[in-house]
Amino acid sequence: MLRLVIQRLLALVPLLFIVSVLTFSFTSLLPADPADLIVGQQGTPEQYAAVRERLGLNDPIVTRYVHWVDRALHGDLGTSFFNSVKVTDAVMQRLPVTVSLTVVAALIAIIVGLAAGIAAALKPRSLVDRFATLGATFGQAVPNFWFGLLLAAIFAVGLHWFPATGFTPITQSPWGWLRSVTLPAFALGLASSAAIARQVRSSMVGVLQQDYIRAARAQGLSRRRVIFKHALKNALVPVAAVLSFQITVLLGGALIVEQVFAINGLGTLAITAVRRQDIPMIQGLVLVMVGLVVIVQLATDLIYGYLNPKARPS
Amino acid sequence: MKPWIRGSILSLAMTVALSASATTAGAAPSGTFRFAEEVKLVTLDPYQHSGGGISYMRPVYETLFTRTPDNKLVPFLATGYKIDGLKVTLSLRKDVKFSDGTPFNAEAVVANLKRGIKLNVLAALKPIADVTSDDDYTVTITLKKADPSLISDMTAEPGMMISPKAFDSPGLDRNPVGTGPYLYDKADSREGEVRVYKPNPDYWAPDQVGLQRIEIWELPDDTARLNALKTGQVDVGIWLANPQAAIIGRTPGLKLVKNVGGYTYQVIIQDRAGTKVPAFADKRVRQAMNYAIDRDAYNRAVDFGLSEPAYQPYPKGIWAHDPGLEGRYKYDPEKAKELLKEAGYAKGFTFDMPSIPIFQPRLEALAGFFRDVGITMNIVPVEPGTLARRSMTTDFPATNLVINSQADPLYLGNWYINQDASFNTYKVKPSDELAKLLQEGVQSADPDVRAPIYRKLMNKLADESYLIAVTSTPLLFGVNEELAKNPTLKYRPGEDTVYFRGLTMKN
Repeated sequence: MLRLVIQRLLALVPLLFIVSVLTFSFTSLLPADPADLIVGQQGTPEQYAAVRERLGLNDPIVTRYVHWVDRALHGDLGTSFFNSVKVTDAVMQRLPVTVSLTVVAALIAIIVGLAAGIAAALKPRSLVDRFATLGATFGQAVPNFWFGLLLAAIFAVGLHWFPATGFTPITQSPWGWLRSVTLPAFALGLASSAAIARQVRSSMVGVLQQDYIRAARAQGLSRRRVIFKHALKNALVPVAAVLSFQITVLLGGALIVEQVFAINGLGTLAITAVRRQDIPMIQGLVLVMVGLVVIVQLATDLIYGYLNPKARPS
Repeated sequence: MKPWIRGSILSLAMTVALSASATTAGAAPSGTFRFAEEVKLVTLDPYQHSGGGISYMRPVYETLFTRTPDNKLVPFLATGYKIDGLKVTLSLRKDVKFSDGTPFNAEAVVANLKRGIKLNVLAALKPIADVTSDDDYTVTITLKKADPSLISDMTAEPGMMISPKAFDSPGLDRNPVGTGPYLYDKADSREGEVRVYKPNPDYWAPDQVGLQRIEIWELPDDTARLNALKTGQVDVGIWLANPQAAIIGRTPGLKLVKNVGGYTYQVIIQDRAGTKVPAFADKRVRQAMNYAIDRDAYNRAVDFGLSEPAYQPYPKGIWAHDPGLEGRYKYDPEKAKELLKEAGYAKGFTFDMPSIPIFQPRLEALAGFFRDVGITMNIVPVEPGTLARRSMTTDFPATNLVINSQADPLYLGNWYINQDASFNTYKVKPSDELAKLLQEGVQSADPDVRAPIYRKLMNKLADESYLIAVTSTPLLFGVNEELAKNPTLKYRPGEDTVYFRGLTMKN
C-alpha cells in the first residue's frame, strides 16, 4: 500500500512537467494579447512595447518556460501580469474554498446517491425504484447553475435558512462555513448523485441476484447484515471508479456554481486568467488542479483496493 | 422636598444629561456599511484606472475638487482656482496629511499630476503641458490648449492625491495611501471577493468618519448581487438597467434609486464619406435610420422601462442637454422609408456592426427596426473588451458605444467630430459650422456661457444624424428601504458610488 502511494506521488513529478509544457504552449497560441489588454485603448505603441518587455513576452518561448520552471522550483510561481497579486497567494487563498465545496458536494453525492440507489435496488420496478430513476434522470439533465438559482431563491431568499452568497472559512466559524457551503454543494453534487444512484442501483441489483447472497440469507443472516456487509461492499466496487471520475467533474463544474453564489474559488480565478491570458496565473492554476486530481485519484484507488481485495497490489 | 435640594438635583441631572450628549457628539465611529460593486477590483491606483469601480478608491483617496449632492462643483483638497488664458492656478488646503504622515502640499500635487501625465492613461491629463509649485500651497498648471473641463475632471481619478512616498512601492495597486477618512485593510480584505476599510485615526475632519467598517463586495453576477441585497448581506448595490434592477423596484422592502448621470447608448456612423457603405454618405439615409427606431419599445424591452428615449448625447438634467430636441426623431417608419426612397435606397442596403455580449440584445432590437425599413445590419461579435479599440479602426463602417453623461461636451469633438477624433476613423472633415461651435465652446469655463453654444451643436449633430442616440439610462442603486431613509446616505452625482465621508449607520 505504501509502495503504491509513493509510486503515485513520484509519478506526479514528470506529469506536472509535461502538463506545464503543454499549457505554456497552448496559452501562447491564444489570440488575446496580455500586453494589449494591460495597456488598454488609450495606450501608445511605446507603452505597449514597454509592457511586452516588462512581462518578458519578447523572449523566445523556451527561455520563458525555463525561467518559469527555475522560479517555480524555488516555490515562486510568479505574479499576475495584471496586478501585484502573487500567484501562490491567489491560489492558496481560494484552494480551501474549492476543496470545501468539492468535498461537501462529493459527500452529498455519495449519501444521496447511495440512499437512492439502495432504495431502488431493494425493490426493483416498485414505485420507489421508478421515482428514484426519474429523479436520477432529472438530476443529470438539469444544469447545476439553474438548480443553484432555484435553491437560492427558495432556501436563502425565501426561507432565510442559508445565506444567498458568500463563503465563510471554516476557521472563522464552523457553523457559518456549513451554512454557506450547503446550497452550492447541493447544486454542484446533484448531477454526480444521479450518476452514483444509477450505478449503485444497477450493481446492487446484480449482486443481490448472486447465489452467495441467497446462501447468506439461507444461513439465517439478517436482511440488514446481508445488504450492508456483503451486498453493498461488492456493489460499491464499480461505484468507486465512477466516484473518482465524478470528483474530477466536480472540481471543474464548480465554476458556474461559484458565480451564482458569488463564491471565490479556483474556477472564477481560472476563467479570468484564461480570458486575459494571465500566463503565470494559468500555469499556477493548472499545476494545482493537476496535483489535486492525482491525489484524488490516488485516494479513490486506495478505497477501491480496500473494497476489492483482488485489486490490491500484493 | 426642600427647594435647594430640588435645585441641586435638577442641576445635577442637567450636568449628567449635557455630558452624555457631549460624549455622543464626539462619539467613536460605529457600524458597518456594506456596498456591492458590479465590477471586480482591477487596481487601486487612480492614475492607472479606467472603467467602473471608483467605489474601491473613494474611501481612501480624496480629490482636489468635488461635486456636492446637488451637483455643484466645489473645491475640496484645493481651496480655489483661477483661470488666466492657458494657466490654471490652484490654492490648496493647509491642514491635510496623508495617512503615512507625509504632508499634503503643492509638492505632493505636482508629483501626483506629473506621475499621472507620465503614465498617460487618464485622458483628462493629456492637455496639461506643465505643472509647477509657486509656493507651499499654490500650484500652477499650464495647458497646451484651452480645456474648460479640467476642474470638473478633477472631481474623480485625475484629481485624486496619492502620498508621493508611496509612488514607488511595488504593490500600490493593492496598497493605497491617501488622505481619505478610511484606510484600506489589506489583512481583512479577500482578493476578488471583498475589500474592507477601517477608520483613518488621523483624518483631518474626524467628525466625518462615521463608520467602524466598510465592506465593498465584488459581485459582478447580477442575480447574486440581487440575492445579497434581498437577504441583507449588502446594504446598497449598483445596477445597470437589466431585469434585476426592474425587480428591485417591485420588491417590498427594497427601493430603486435613480442618480443623476449615467450613460447614453449611441449608434455611430463612422463611414459618412461613403467609402465602404456609399449609403452612409447621404444625410437622408442616416436620418431614416434615426426615424426607424422605436425608442419606447426599445426602452421597455431592452432597458426594462428604466431609461429615457434619447435624441442627443446628453440627458435631461445635464447642462448641455437641449430640451428643444425632445422627440426630434419620433418613431416614424413610413417617413424613414420615404427618405430612403428619396436617397435612392428604396431596396435598402447592408452593413456590418461590431457587437460585444452586453450589447447583443440592444443590437438585435435595432436590427429588427432597421430590417422593417429595408436596411440589413449584420451583427458581428468581437472579443469582449476590444470594442473600443476595434471602433478606432476602419474594420467596420459604424459602431455602437455608450457616452458617460458626466463627460464634458468638449469630448464630443475629441471622440467623434474632429477630423482626427478617436472614433472618426474615416477621417471625415467636420462641417465649418460644427468646427466653429467646438472652438467657441472651450473659450470659457462657465457652463452658463457654454450651454447655448453646445445646444446649437446638439441641434447640428441631430441634423447630421451620424451620432444616433437611442436611450439615456440613469445610474441605478438598489437600497434597503429602511436604509433609504438614512439622511447621511447620499449618492455622488454622475458616479456609481455613494459618499463614504459623513456616512453613519445604525447597526
